Amino acid sequence: MNLKTRKLLDRSFSGMGLVAIAVMAMALVVILAPIIGKGAGAFIFRGTIEHRKVMFNCWNRGNPDQMAEEIAQTDAARQPIYELISTFEAELKEMARTDRKPYKQPLRDLKKAVAGLLGPTPGARTPVLMRQQYGATRKDRADIKLDEILYTEEWDYSNPDAMGVLVKTPRAEQFAGTSLEPLFRTLEKNIDAMLQTHLTFYWQFLIDTSKDSHIFGGIGPEVLGTLYLTLGAMLFAIPMGVIAAIYLCEYAKEGRVISFIRTCISTLAGVPSIVFGLFGLAFFLNTIHISDSKSVLAGSLTLALLVLPTVIRSSEEAILAVPRAYKEAAMSLGAGKWHTVLTVILPAALPGILTGVVISMGRAAGETAPIIFTAAVSVGRPLLPLQTLSQPTPALPWNIYNLCTEHEAVDEIRHVQFGMVFTLIAIVLLLNTVAIIMRARISKKLRG
Amino acid sequence: MSASSSRWRRFGAMLGQGSLFLVTSLSTFAVFFIFYFIAKDAIPFFQMEGFKEFFASTSWYPSGHPAEFGALSIFFGTAIVTFGAVVVAVPLGVSAAVCLSDVLPFSARQVVKPVIEVLAAIPSVAYGFFALVVLAPLLQEQGGTVLSLVSWLVLGPVLILAVFVFGDLIADRAPERFQRSVRWGSILLLGALGLVLMQSLSTTLSTIEITSGTNALNVSLILGIMALPTVVSVSEDALQATGRDLREGSYALGATRAETIVRTVIPASLSGILAAVILGVMRAVGETMVVWMASGNSARLPSPLYNVLQPVRTLTATIAGDMGEADHVTGSSRFHVLFAMALCLLLFSFIMNLVSEAIVRRSRKKLNT
Repeated sequence: MNLKTRKLLDRSFSGMGLVAIAVMAMALVVILAPIIGKGAGAFIFRGTIEHRKVMFNCWNRGNPDQMAEEIAQTDAARQPIYELISTFEAELKEMARTDRKPYKQPLRDLKKAVAGLLGPTPGARTPVLMRQQYGATRKDRADIKLDEILYTEEWDYSNPDAMGVLVKTPRAEQFAGTSLEPLFRTLEKNIDAMLQTHLTFYWQFLIDTSKDSHIFGGIGPEVLGTLYLTLGAMLFAIPMGVIAAIYLCEYAKEGRVISFIRTCISTLAGVPSIVFGLFGLAFFLNTIHISDSKSVLAGSLTLALLVLPTVIRSSEEAILAVPRAYKEAAMSLGAGKWHTVLTVILPAALPGILTGVVISMGRAAGETAPIIFTAAVSVGRPLLPLQTLSQPTPALPWNIYNLCTEHEAVDEIRHVQFGMVFTLIAIVLLLNTVAIIMRARISKKLRG
Repeated sequence: MSASSSRWRRFGAMLGQGSLFLVTSLSTFAVFFIFYFIAKDAIPFFQMEGFKEFFASTSWYPSGHPAEFGALSIFFGTAIVTFGAVVVAVPLGVSAAVCLSDVLPFSARQVVKPVIEVLAAIPSVAYGFFALVVLAPLLQEQGGTVLSLVSWLVLGPVLILAVFVFGDLIADRAPERFQRSVRWGSILLLGALGLVLMQSLSTTLSTIEITSGTNALNVSLILGIMALPTVVSVSEDALQATGRDLREGSYALGATRAETIVRTVIPASLSGILAAVILGVMRAVGETMVVWMASGNSARLPSPLYNVLQPVRTLTATIAGDMGEADHVTGSSRFHVLFAMALCLLLFSFIMNLVSEAIVRRSRKKLNT
């Protein structure tokens, strides 16, 4: 082959590697960007007066005088809309039955759409469902609801070969020539006065309970549940893992038994997480009845088994990385083996062990499959520490799944879903960053 | 006096060591318990329903009357998404590993490592969420455009390279005098041919309409990305383990870096790379949340079989999804069939694990001698 071609091949070979790494980095950016971008929207968004009403009524947040003033202002701005509707309703009553009929259904739809944006009509009976007691709480939702008022949407399937096409027609056409027609322009023009949107920083999203299955409120119980599960898992996994690592490094004599144990550890690491979940169900719940129903305790034990191999391996690595000289110095001073391990080796290996522990914590916090059958429920109250022994809990990973596949109003609560994923990833990445920094420090120290 | 105290001390040390050993062997117990308890609930299924239907039939109607438990399409679903993940993860992962171990300088490696770690750390449910909420609608609405764009991005550079290399190879055969003109002529000819092929491919791809964004392609992509960190780090270890002497020998014979890596380093570390692939496969087979959320969960064989644009269903997703309904009727074959699936998964990962361990052990022995 020509030398030039060989060079070209060589270059493109290196290029291929670089492209692979670039693709990897790009995948990371592509996956994280929407999650972080939209997830931040759960905390920082343009909140309407309806959001402040929810905050005030459910959590007593906000200044009562200011709230009263704002409510008075927005009610005043909304008054013309309701007046237009009631005038039109009065007009309808005057009309002949046949003239009235074509307006009946459109008017009902319109009133429903208006209630979606602004909340129930003043003076009407308070709806039972909380989601119907308030209008749109966020500017982005309000824009969609406004669009629903202004236009009707229909799917056109007239072409059987292609997918359906969305057709939007202005709702004003339905009421052309009636006294209701100006409503749409008024609504569009005065929407800001009716909703009074402000930039809102809703950090309490992290600690609030959810109202009406996550349509209002925050993700407090889920965050708390994840913390319980993670801490519980580490409570079991750390002692077991570190002790096993000490034994394997310092006491065990390489032989059949030890190599068998090592094979078991790597088998344990390879068991699919869903199998851990089934095992937790079959053993902890159905066989030894650790609790009557699913519980945080059963979930923590299952997760502990899942992260055990990681903890063992990283602790082993950390212990092996302790220079031999430390151990020999301690021994030569007359310390026993156990004494040496406790006072010299463990303290020296501690940062390395902690690094592995922190990474395993991230893993335990994010795992879903093992807790489906052992610990997680979709809706629940935040638990007290003692209740974790016997009661299930909502947890971030499970509720992310649940909200984006099984919730009855999936599109209404996209911001909550993104907020949850954002929170979970933030927790996991925070733990990993801690681990990366700790490891950098250790390697610096070991290099001197 | 001193003799008895030293005996006590030795006894204490033995006791201490014994208890340490006991804690260490907990993971052994765990493995045995997992096998025992999964098998205990799986065997009743095979006693009740036998093996044949489960492994050979594709009709999966666990709640029908009579219930049918043909899991072949579910096994096939697992196989196809795993294969897809391997197709994505292995070329990317191995080239990234080569680049990390042989091309990039140490300081650049320190920057890339955290990227891999973060990819590995992102919880599976977050990947699943991305697949369901971001990727699936994108595929469903812009499917054809996305596919043709990706085909250009992937095949374009390959095409350019192939054109130059083949042009060169053809020119080598030509007599000395015409070499230059033959080279450029064949490059132009091949380039034009390639362009026409690419164009027709991308127009065919862009007319494809994806009826459901939650399909095998979507899941394979995401599973591939999830398996990448494993493949990269394990195969990088394998490449590093092949010492400098092999590389320097090859350089001394006048090989370029690419030739050294392809002809010498990769063959020498092939077993390690194989272990990396196996671990990647294990990751993809055992993954639950992504496939449960974004595979469409339809227990039918796609038609034709290689059609990755249709929804599939996997073992893990079936276990996760059906347990909720089966929970109330503990003891029925509907409950036990899920354990039978878990047993299959468990045996598969166990065997794969043993194989990869054996491969690594053998290659280590070979490198040491």
